[in-house]
Amino acid sequence: MTKVEGVIDPVANDTDEMFIGWAPAPAVDRRFLLGALPLGLAASVGSSWLVSKELGDPGAGAWQTNATHRVTGVLSTDPYPMLRIADPSAPYGMRTVLIVAQGKCTSALQLADVAGKVVTAAGALIQRKERQMLEVPLFLDKWLEPADDGSVSEALLTPDVESIGSFELAGQVMDSKCFFGVMRPGRGKTHKACASLCIRGGIPPSMWVRNGAGGESVLLLTGENGGPMPMDILPFVADPVSVTGEVVRVGDLLQLRANLAAFQRV
Amino acid sequence: MAHEYKAIQWNGNKIVYDLYVLAAIVAFITVFMVVGLATYESGHTADPVVLFIRALGTCAFALLTVVLAIGPLARLNKRFLTMLYNRRHLGVITFIISAAHFGLALLWYHGGGPLNPFISLFVSNSQYDSIPGFPFEVLGFAAFLILLLMASTSHDFWLNNLSAPVWKAIHMLVYPAYALLVMHIVLGALMTEKSMVYPLMTAAAFLGVSGLHIFTGMREWGADNGMKRLKAKGWVEVCAPEDIAENRAVIAPMPKGDRVAVFRYDNKISAVTNACRHQNGPLGEGRVVDGCITCPWHGWQYRPDDGVSPPPFTEKISTYNVKIEGGVIFVDPKPNKPGVKTTPALIDSNRASA
Repeated sequence: MTKVEGVIDPVANDTDEMFIGWAPAPAVDRRFLLGALPLGLAASVGSSWLVSKELGDPGAGAWQTNATHRVTGVLSTDPYPMLRIADPSAPYGMRTVLIVAQGKCTSALQLADVAGKVVTAAGALIQRKERQMLEVPLFLDKWLEPADDGSVSEALLTPDVESIGSFELAGQVMDSKCFFGVMRPGRGKTHKACASLCIRGGIPPSMWVRNGAGGESVLLLTGENGGPMPMDILPFVADPVSVTGEVVRVGDLLQLRANLAAFQRV
Repeated sequence: MAHEYKAIQWNGNKIVYDLYVLAAIVAFITVFMVVGLATYESGHTADPVVLFIRALGTCAFALLTVVLAIGPLARLNKRFLTMLYNRRHLGVITFIISAAHFGLALLWYHGGGPLNPFISLFVSNSQYDSIPGFPFEVLGFAAFLILLLMASTSHDFWLNNLSAPVWKAIHMLVYPAYALLVMHIVLGALMTEKSMVYPLMTAAAFLGVSGLHIFTGMREWGADNGMKRLKAKGWVEVCAPEDIAENRAVIAPMPKGDRVAVFRYDNKISAVTNACRHQNGPLGEGRVVDGCITCPWHGWQYRPDDGVSPPPFTEKISTYNVKIEGGVIFVDPKPNKPGVKTTPALIDSNRASA
């Protein structure tokens, strides 16, 4: 007789010896695996190669953790911790090196007593092109010592402030530390949470602006009056934004001074 | 099958399986790191930690895609049963890789700051009201918690103590977890990286897994529709004994929708539920090996007449009463309790030939 409608006969599609996990594999399965396993390995290597090679350029930047970098200059905390170093060969005769703490807690650095003094600082250099930053331990005695000469250059203590003009700029708000080289890449949405946490912890925010020719400008981001940027900037971090603000040169450093209300997501 | 619990159950095949998976993972991550560090010139080199986080995440997603593809592939081609057999180990390895990805990302992106890393995970990106801006990390964390639950309950101890339906329900959460991971990638890496390779590969993985499940699901649905046409009361007519190959079965639909595996062996006919006690594997697609019905998925065994695993094992499945009248096998659609001994129907050897 024929089988009743709906009765399934697995034998119709499967007459080979059955694979049982606790028994030696039948020859038909061994032949299959001899072909499938190298193919699987090739797929693993091939997909890994493809995904990895297509990753975007992490950007120029370095974090020199294997060497201690020492710089001597005038320490300022306005609007963020930084050292201004006399350098006759540099534009405007000085170089500004931002100071950040290890990790993401720069605001825990107690620098009020040494602000305006000449000091030597030691730490790990973070550098993206001409922009420099020094990463130091949280405790001052581990990295900071007064410099011998004690004389303070007026140019370093109160550098020239020059207004370049008001501009509408499009770009991203970055945390300077990651962007300068600690994280590569240190931009975009995958880095948004980290950048937000860094800025919340007192790491200076920067505005990263690119022109059509592939060039980039990094401007230290401050509040409208040149003070620290309010924490209300955090929701805009790492998003494409446009902002109208005043570009100001302070010593050798370009700042973008902007009101929070001027930021718009693009 | 287990008469005692071991932390990890291995045998020769499983050891080969696990070593192969580990080799594939090591190859994947090594190639990812080497290529990632070499792609851009000095001064533009990717951060090795960020690269490693990405390698682990990509690897975990690829592994989960494979884990989910194996089931339907094994429905389409029996050779893939060799990969289904040890899928649980593959799942746990996938969890370990995803845990490494999660832990390192939490430490690197959310650690060392003014907030507890777990709080930072939820508040550092507050754009919960935006689809493109949505914090993708939260989606990945939700998927990780599901994988953690699944890995924690993967052992047969939990299968036996939670009961098969509860265990199965927990492990069906792998599908929401996979959907969460796809969104984790779409709203994370795909929003940052510009290469078209990433959306194409993600779509291929998601559509591949979905397509395989839909295709095999429709085949099963077609078979179920055949079953629903059977409305007869009383004993259900199946087929003639000679329609069943020796040591094999046919799968017969019952009026209430359950499936019964009707086995022929040693000139006898016995019927048991088609669902294995272990993970609902299709017993009717198995064989009678050494006198026992053997599940094609993981090799669990039951005696045909009482549905009890051979000593020292103790698992039991439901049996069904059978009879042969006029050269036709009939099954009583009312299942016996698991382990209840039945009387096999004897085949008239003058009628039936193997």
